[in-house]
Amino acid sequence: MSGDDAASHRKGPVQVGLPWVVGLLLGVLALGPGLKRGFILRYDMVFVPNPPLGPVQLGAGEGFPRAVPSDAVAALLSKALPADIVQSILLLAVFALSCAGAARLVRGPLVARLAAGVFYAWNPFIAERLLLGQWAVLLGYAGLPWVLAAAARLAGAKDLPRLVTALLPAAVGGFSSAVLSALAAVPTTIARPGTLRRRLGSALLAVAAATALSLPWLVPALTAAGGGARTDPGAVDLFAARADTPFGAAGSLLMLGGIWNAQAVPDLYGHPFLAACRLALALAALAGWVLLLRRGSLGPAGPGLTAAALAGLAIALLGTVDPGRDLLRALIGAWPGFGALRDGHLYTAPLALLQAVGLGGAAAWLAQGARRTETEKGPAAPDRFGAVAAALLLLAPLVLLPGLAWGAAGRLAPVHYPAEWSEVQRLVDADPAPGSVLVLPWSAYRGLETADPGRTAVVLDPAVKLFERPAVWNDDLRVADGGTVRAAEGEDPAARAAAEAAAGPGGAGAPEIGALGVRYVLVEREAPDPTSADGPRHLSKNRFSPLLDASERVHDGPLLTLYRLPDEHVDAVKVDLSGLEVTGWLVTVGSILWSLIASSSNLVSMRPLRPVGAEPRKENPS
Amino acid sequence: MIKILAACVIGAALAGGLALVGTTVATNSSSTAEPVNESLYNYGDR
Repeated sequence: MSGDDAASHRKGPVQVGLPWVVGLLLGVLALGPGLKRGFILRYDMVFVPNPPLGPVQLGAGEGFPRAVPSDAVAALLSKALPADIVQSILLLAVFALSCAGAARLVRGPLVARLAAGVFYAWNPFIAERLLLGQWAVLLGYAGLPWVLAAAARLAGAKDLPRLVTALLPAAVGGFSSAVLSALAAVPTTIARPGTLRRRLGSALLAVAAATALSLPWLVPALTAAGGGARTDPGAVDLFAARADTPFGAAGSLLMLGGIWNAQAVPDLYGHPFLAACRLALALAALAGWVLLLRRGSLGPAGPGLTAAALAGLAIALLGTVDPGRDLLRALIGAWPGFGALRDGHLYTAPLALLQAVGLGGAAAWLAQGARRTETEKGPAAPDRFGAVAAALLLLAPLVLLPGLAWGAAGRLAPVHYPAEWSEVQRLVDADPAPGSVLVLPWSAYRGLETADPGRTAVVLDPAVKLFERPAVWNDDLRVADGGTVRAAEGEDPAARAAAEAAAGPGGAGAPEIGALGVRYVLVEREAPDPTSADGPRHLSKNRFSPLLDASERVHDGPLLTLYRLPDEHVDAVKVDLSGLEVTGWLVTVGSILWSLIASSSNLVSMRPLRPVGAEPRKENPS
Repeated sequence: MIKILAACVIGAALAGGLALVGTTVATNSSSTAEPVNESLYNYGDR
């Protein structure tokens, strides 16, 4: 970029602030009616009133800590604000961070930076993950541009605070977010200029930063992997990417769609005309990326993000072919931690960022051509068509993905919990005696009525996150596949033991269930009971009748019934964090505080990318 | 010339997309079926 160009693109407050505003507006447009009071509940997205914050939410207990530390952070914020408002803020932050982060990676006119921001905040990846309720993953996705920029400047330990700060959204997001961030950061640090030793040193620093911020979930995950928790290798087929456009699984992934769940696909997404236009948009974005790479205007972020996007796409494609699925099954069989690879679509997040920046590059090329002509040939008519084309490119992601608008066409309508839920929560949390809560019916997902009459939100049972103590629930995942229902085996050893007890002769009694450390049983009366046995490994509520008959009914409402097991049967100990888990938290929180103090900055003040060889700007002495 | 072509192509695609969305909304023919009224709710359908 020439000096004149650089001068003309120097950012004022409006130029810096506008991507944030646009991102926020995109969030409002996407969430729509979901921003009213009440909770947006959908599949994995479960927020409850007065969410508990205790050892369980911080990672204590059995099973993989999939909601650590995201649930703990949401609960902490809910101490200051109502939980439904916290949820809205977190979801809006995803859009604002995404748009502003992608926009600042592009050097060029405002329209080009906004094109990148709009694309990154409004694409099939973000739509499908939102419709699957994976808000914590989206936090990591939103932080990806910031991580990339910080990794590109990671010359040594002095730059570490900036990277740690950029990793904050991923740290909140937990496991998947951290993996995505590492996937982008490590190759970018290796692509930095300098000797191989220096570059490897930078990569090690990046890994160290990501690890330090991952300890709250990493320590319990390693404990769980060695303590009986397991991942079902058979679920590889269920969660592999699939075609949700006419262009096959590979084409769908290239367009950032292809999520395994057909219910998470936005309306109109697979329409042939819109899909063809989106494919053209993706190809234009890739062309723009190649243009930027050839100009060398991205610095180490160019080759770094290219490597991350290719690696992510390769992981996603693994599940779409038989040899790839065999490999994934073998890996998961060898170590449960590889279960993270079975949802391949997740790993197209770096490709989304690559395409967003590429689209910004294409828009910059369209918009900037007119100025070059004037400079080189004297006064000339402005290239209005180039400017118009760039402006249209900015709008293209919105028009070609209409199904995300207005709460994904109403699918993100808010849900109001009946007061009974809070009453049950109060009763259980007031009891100082330890012991978990068994949740019935013995199935994981519920259909809750939304504020939009006639519309039901399918969501993970909120009872799982309602109490400070652990919940024992059927964590098998039922997925309909080709007309039959299949189940991915759950990961929680306590749930497996409860199911085995219920499946035995005479069903589950209080002694068997109490021996698992269960003190309460919550029965949701309106939830469908799997009496029809239309899926594998699902047990009717009747299989738990001996347990309920032997227990005291402490709440009996129209929706919920709460039972308390007799004390003599309950063999429970108070769940608490181990010394190692406490140490992990201290290291993480300490690292974050150190980075904030050391950098004396935040995400907003982080500087955009510089091309390779560009003169570093003088540091602010303050 | 290429930018004129780009503007026309992008504009035509967006116009087509908007027309399609407008038509769909007007006729309310979009599919918003949710996996409800099943004996059990699934985590999803492939």
